[in-house]
Amino acid sequence: MRRGTTKALARMALVTLAFAALFSQRAAGQSNSSNSSAAAKTATARAVDNPSGSNSSDVAKTLKTAAEAIGLARWSGVGGQHLPEVDVINTMEIWGSCTTDGPVQSNKPGEAGPASKIEFHAALGYNPPAMRVEMTSTGPGAPRHTIEVVRDNYAWDESEIGAGLIPGKGTATPAMAAVNKRLLQLWILPYGVIKAALAAGDKARVTTEKGATVITFPLSGLLADVMVKATLDAKYEVAKVETRTDNPALADLITETEYFDYKDHGEIATDVMSPGHIRWKQGGHPVMDLQVKMLDANNPYLVFPVPENVKQAAAR
Amino acid sequence: MTRHFFISRGIVTAALLCLLPAAIFAQNNGGPRMDHENTLPPTPTGPTPRTADGHPDLTGLWNGLADNLLGVPNQMHNVGIEVGTDTARDIHSGAQIGTWPLQSRTHQNSEQSERAATLLRRMGSNRPIYKPQYWQRVKDFDANSNEEDPSNNCMPAGVPRMGVPSYIAQTPTYLVFVYPGQGGLIATATSYRMIPTDGRKHTNLEDLDGTWNGEAIGHWEGDTMVVDTIGFNSTSWFDQLGGYFHSENMHVIERFHRDGNTLTWTATVEDPDVLLEPWTTTPRVALLNPDTKAILPESLPCSERDFAHVVTKEHH
Repeated sequence: MRRGTTKALARMALVTLAFAALFSQRAAGQSNSSNSSAAAKTATARAVDNPSGSNSSDVAKTLKTAAEAIGLARWSGVGGQHLPEVDVINTMEIWGSCTTDGPVQSNKPGEAGPASKIEFHAALGYNPPAMRVEMTSTGPGAPRHTIEVVRDNYAWDESEIGAGLIPGKGTATPAMAAVNKRLLQLWILPYGVIKAALAAGDKARVTTEKGATVITFPLSGLLADVMVKATLDAKYEVAKVETRTDNPALADLITETEYFDYKDHGEIATDVMSPGHIRWKQGGHPVMDLQVKMLDANNPYLVFPVPENVKQAAAR
Repeated sequence: MTRHFFISRGIVTAALLCLLPAAIFAQNNGGPRMDHENTLPPTPTGPTPRTADGHPDLTGLWNGLADNLLGVPNQMHNVGIEVGTDTARDIHSGAQIGTWPLQSRTHQNSEQSERAATLLRRMGSNRPIYKPQYWQRVKDFDANSNEEDPSNNCMPAGVPRMGVPSYIAQTPTYLVFVYPGQGGLIATATSYRMIPTDGRKHTNLEDLDGTWNGEAIGHWEGDTMVVDTIGFNSTSWFDQLGGYFHSENMHVIERFHRDGNTLTWTATVEDPDVLLEPWTTTPRVALLNPDTKAILPESLPCSERDFAHVVTKEHH
């Protein structure tokens, strides 16, 4: 029992580490932003076939097509015949699962241990930017449950949903060092990519690479020195997102997320297209494969109030 | 499957058709409009009339953007989404929202239009913060609102869900508010409130039988009429959308401020039984009907929904 628990904890730690490694470049690179940022931008520009091939009209047209492809740019005839299209996506929830295995969990060196299933649930919002990620290991040993939250400039871990908001109801542990890596998860989702590219304004570029449309742009705010390169598929859905950060130690490391099998995954149909399969890669190798079971894009009631002790920790 | 599709499509079409006569009738009489070119609050014009006792005179037919469930632009205004010709923002958070010009909109059918409407109505960031143990319940109520919404059974919408009254009569000692019902599938029952402003105090809460509209008492704070209401049942929801339930201890403070031909309304909801903190609606601005001979048309009868034929969770 104890060994099983240890194994389960080890697997969860691996997954957590994978996430942390995947998104940690930005956090580590906070101290020297502008020079490294410029280097990242240059590196990204070199990667495309025709880096000077876009103008603001191309960018606007591409972003509009991409926004409509995933159901983000919408209008309604129910009284809205004379209104422009607007970005309708604010909150959403994603449920999925993935299976991990790894040689370090095996009793025999070089042999993969038993598979561990991770149940994944993310509740997120873009106004304000916030995300709560729950992961539950259902592999051998005792289940392990983690809840990681970010909102604006605050990050914390919850012992239960909404912990720390009511005295005696769970514990909220500040995790300020994780703010950037958690925010990045939000902005590399297909919806985040479109929103952030729009927000980048004149700094966004559209090019073609091996026949595919590519959008490059810098993020803003805490992630201002992170460059994003998003590759669109033939339907203008976001197929791949690569990030570069300003951390010199990780300057050549490309984080990569691939999105497949778009369709409306909601129980309540919204015409918002979402990937059914998400693959995170690091250094070209798969880190985690997520099969999406359901995605509720109907702007559900999701809130992310910041616990008082987290605010106090951030102020210190 | 095909039958379900046609029934679902039929419900949407029927809802739209039921709305049209009222909308057309109202527009012919200078009343509430379903269609707008923006969701910006009207700019006040003209003097603010005053009664003999020196207070602003709230008497009149009030419509414009802040009417009830009539059209997406009204509802976007109500949740604080300001859409102009080529800009949009959430006035609660100040966040800019992506927009694309009216002229370049992509065609969509009525089903797509209705699905977009459900997103547009819910995209605002100003959401009440419930205690964590109620987050799932609110979400479920909204997701299942076809069956759960109390107004679907022709029950009164209640306070403050009714929003801005369509007609106000003001005397030195009381106010009369009239809220016409809306027929069709977006059914709300006609309601009225008689609100003393003679300085009396509330009845002890324990001595009140909870009702839909509660016990309201008004007083002036400068030029603002403040209507304080207690003594509710727990059957209604307190905003138009969202599944926002409340307890019998709800306390509502409405503020009415007239500026020329506009009336700005807000409601603050206090309910320590279920909310973490008080919540205030985004200000809704109603426009005075300029036709001094205008009268409220008779409301269409409220018709209960036929739940046996509701086959999806798609909703308004």
